[in-house]
Amino acid sequence: MSSGTIFYITTLLVYGGVDVVACLGLSLQFGTAGITNFGFIIYQAAGAYVAAVLSLPRDTANGGFQTYVLGLHLAFPLPWIGGAVAGGLLAIPAGLVVRRSLRPDFAGVSMLVTAVILNTVVDNFVPLFNGAAGVALVPSPLGNLFNPQSLKWQWMYSGIALFMCIVVLLVIRLITESPYGRSLRAMREDETAAKAVGKNTDRMRMTVLITGGAVAGLSGAILVGFINLWAPSAWTYPETIVLIAAVIIGGRGNHYGAILGAALVPLGFLEATRFIPAFGPAGLVPALEWIVTGLLILVFLWFRPQGVIPERRHRLARSLPAQAAAAVSGAAELATGPARGQ
Amino acid sequence: MDIVIASVGFGLVTASVLAIASVAFTMQFGITDVLNLSFGGVMIASAFIAYVVNNAGVNIWIGVLVAGVAGAIISYLINRFVLTPFKRRNTSPIGMVIVTLALGLILENLVLAVAGPNNVSYAMNSGPTLAVGAFELTALQIGMIALSLIIAGAIHALLRLTRLGKAMRATSCNAGLARASGIRTERVIASTWLITGALCGISGAAFAMNSGSFGSSSAELFLVVIIASVFVGGVGQPYGAMLGALLLGLVTEVSAAFITPDYKEVIAFIILLGVMALRPQGLIARATV
Amino acid sequence: MDSEPQRPKPILIAEAVAAGYGGAPVITDVSLQVAAGEVVSVVGPNGSGKSTLLKSLVGVIRVLSGRVALGDRDITNWATEDVARAGVGYVPQVDDVFGPLTVRENLEMGGYLLAPREVAGRVERVVSVFPALGRLLGRRAEKLSGGERKMVAMGRVLMLQPQLFVLDEPTANLAPAIAHTLLHDQIARLASTGAGVLLVEQRARSALEISSWTYVMGGGQCRTHGRSADLSGRADFVESFLGGAPAHA
Ligand SMILES: Nc1ncnc2c1ncn2[C@@H]1O[C@H](COP(=O)(O)OP(=O)(O)OP(=O)(O)O)[C@@H](O)[C@H]1O
Ligand SMILES: [Mg+2]
Repeated sequence: MSSGTIFYITTLLVYGGVDVVACLGLSLQFGTAGITNFGFIIYQAAGAYVAAVLSLPRDTANGGFQTYVLGLHLAFPLPWIGGAVAGGLLAIPAGLVVRRSLRPDFAGVSMLVTAVILNTVVDNFVPLFNGAAGVALVPSPLGNLFNPQSLKWQWMYSGIALFMCIVVLLVIRLITESPYGRSLRAMREDETAAKAVGKNTDRMRMTVLITGGAVAGLSGAILVGFINLWAPSAWTYPETIVLIAAVIIGGRGNHYGAILGAALVPLGFLEATRFIPAFGPAGLVPALEWIVTGLLILVFLWFRPQGVIPERRHRLARSLPAQAAAAVSGAAELATGPARGQ
Repeated sequence: MDIVIASVGFGLVTASVLAIASVAFTMQFGITDVLNLSFGGVMIASAFIAYVVNNAGVNIWIGVLVAGVAGAIISYLINRFVLTPFKRRNTSPIGMVIVTLALGLILENLVLAVAGPNNVSYAMNSGPTLAVGAFELTALQIGMIALSLIIAGAIHALLRLTRLGKAMRATSCNAGLARASGIRTERVIASTWLITGALCGISGAAFAMNSGSFGSSSAELFLVVIIASVFVGGVGQPYGAMLGALLLGLVTEVSAAFITPDYKEVIAFIILLGVMALRPQGLIARATV
Repeated sequence: MDSEPQRPKPILIAEAVAAGYGGAPVITDVSLQVAAGEVVSVVGPNGSGKSTLLKSLVGVIRVLSGRVALGDRDITNWATEDVARAGVGYVPQVDDVFGPLTVRENLEMGGYLLAPREVAGRVERVVSVFPALGRLLGRRAEKLSGGERKMVAMGRVLMLQPQLFVLDEPTANLAPAIAHTLLHDQIARLASTGAGVLLVEQRARSALEISSWTYVMGGGQCRTHGRSADLSGRADFVESFLGGAPAHA
């Protein structure tokens, strides 16, 4: 294999790893718990920014051509941990808003609006984020081990990215396959019923937002260490739509579906189009990509809303609302009464 | 001081554009129960169709009408072929939002594919300037304010005086009961998409006139301000939306004169957060359509 | 019911109706009849499918199998608005008023199908049936007491003077005295003017008193039906539903 091919393959592996980690976080929120977080991408952005400024030296370095905060020059893996923590912390305000919101569609839209506004702030606020130019020259993790330009480093980094996918998958499975996961699904199916059987749905939602935010932050940290660049133009709200599309297409509420979705949509589809010879004026191919992404969402929601890999049947998750309903009306046995009367 | 007075003029024009858009957005939600995030996409697509006509030498005010027709047709088709079928399947409200988000993405990028990445501007004549001290408005701006007042009056008359308006109010309050009273709510909803779609298209052209030049993604940030004025006014309340638009139009433009125009949308967002904290139901609650 | 007793010619006929909410049918094989000038009641425990039955008759949910006819017309799976236009006044169990609208506006919405000049006169007539509404015309429906609210809901369907009333628990949440008046005066009066009334009622004893025929639902099926007077004399029925000895054995 030529080294160009290897670079390409390892790059795909890292991008795929980032998308898989992000989709797993979204799968927990959107698939398992039914929280539609249209602002998901900002958690990835926050994690990436924090990881960047934790690993960068002070902004006076390199002639001070860019401005940012901190610049602690920490060694791997501290910036990644910082990124995950940042993503989780940023979820707390969202959790506070969503708890008050009456309707899930209002909650979703408010997170979208917040994401758009935060992007505007970052775009314009130079002292903290260096404005639209973003932060460059982010050090490559473990660059002291191998030369970051070398194939060895590429292989190592893609290995770490895939390892993180497995870790995140195991952690999220641990959550969703536990009794807690059943409660989350109960909340998704029927929040009123879940409340009626004593579930603290506000706290569950907060936990899921924080966990998903931390996972998103981690994915951002992995990405920024690889591309060495953090710019707000990469974190616009349609990027969230791509991830939502991946989860819908792969299969909601099924983590393998989320992984497949990540491989199909952001990675497979958007990468495959790179091999189409460029045609038309500049911007035409990306525009068509977005159009197809939008169409894919509509087509899947219509023809296969359960996605390519549907959620496994969770027996208890389904019976919980019924239990609750019966508890509320207290009429379960009464209903058969008249039959005996006949 | 002068700059503040001058910015009030800009504020009134922005408020006018915002009012047309917000009334349409809030009626779509109130009557058809869809939070339509493809609204910005329809605005820009309509504004672009007006550009094509204007570019061929047609007067911009006729272009505004063309944008209205385009917006009506696009919105009607979206409802007929996408939203209604999904609703018939009992798609959840959040599912509907995802659908409209995908539609908006498609529309915006259709414009991008056709129009290309460069911004375009209308050929228009601002006309003579009317000045009272530092307060200045061009004839074009006065035309835009007048347009929005006419539309506000027409919406008021529609809702209060016509049979369709009455059916819209009933559908908005309780669609099931409206049907049980013999109201054909599907037709009411289709009419609502036609009417609000026309307003959406008009507001798109007016937005493009007001901002000088526009491109496929120009309405993204403006949609945030529209959503803010809709929520500030009270979701589903046309009069609230007008009030919210006036407030946000003025505050964002006046603040732009003080700080920088870069944070207009951020200011709108902060006002939204403030109103949500103090009065979550919005300024005008419960008056309904 | 092998020996079907003689009943007047029905205006509403349901035959072997099955209906539900997307999953398995909630009600199956339900048949009933309502004639002009007759009050027919449907009783049964919570969740037995009474509301589901009414919703399927008036087109709120789909009839999966079976047939519904109004007079000579087959109205199976007609849209609710068309059923209303055909002369059926349906009062749902919940969401039965336009909350944010005033009482007068609620009545006007009920008269949506009328010619505009007829509306004011009809509102007056409705107020003469429910005099209490007279001083409430300017109040928002959501701010009324439960009983006042039910009167508005009933008033709304009265506006069109339908040939058939379909009422889902009109006395729910009402004080006993008010419930008694509503059932024994107003609803009984509707029937005496020649309209048919199909009534779901929790107060089984009152329902039997004012209706000529009663259907008993259980587990999504019609368990039994018969002349109301006969049912209130049947020990098994009284035991399950009235909780006590037969009223007049
Ligand atoms: N909108 C709905 N979606 C799904 N299931 C429903 C719905 N409404 C009712 N059901 C179910 O259908 C069954 C019958 O409900 P229905 O409302 O017809 O009972 P009911 O006899 O009217 O009871 P009640 O006396 O409490 O009003 C119940 O098991 C209920 O859970
Ligand atoms: Mg019921």
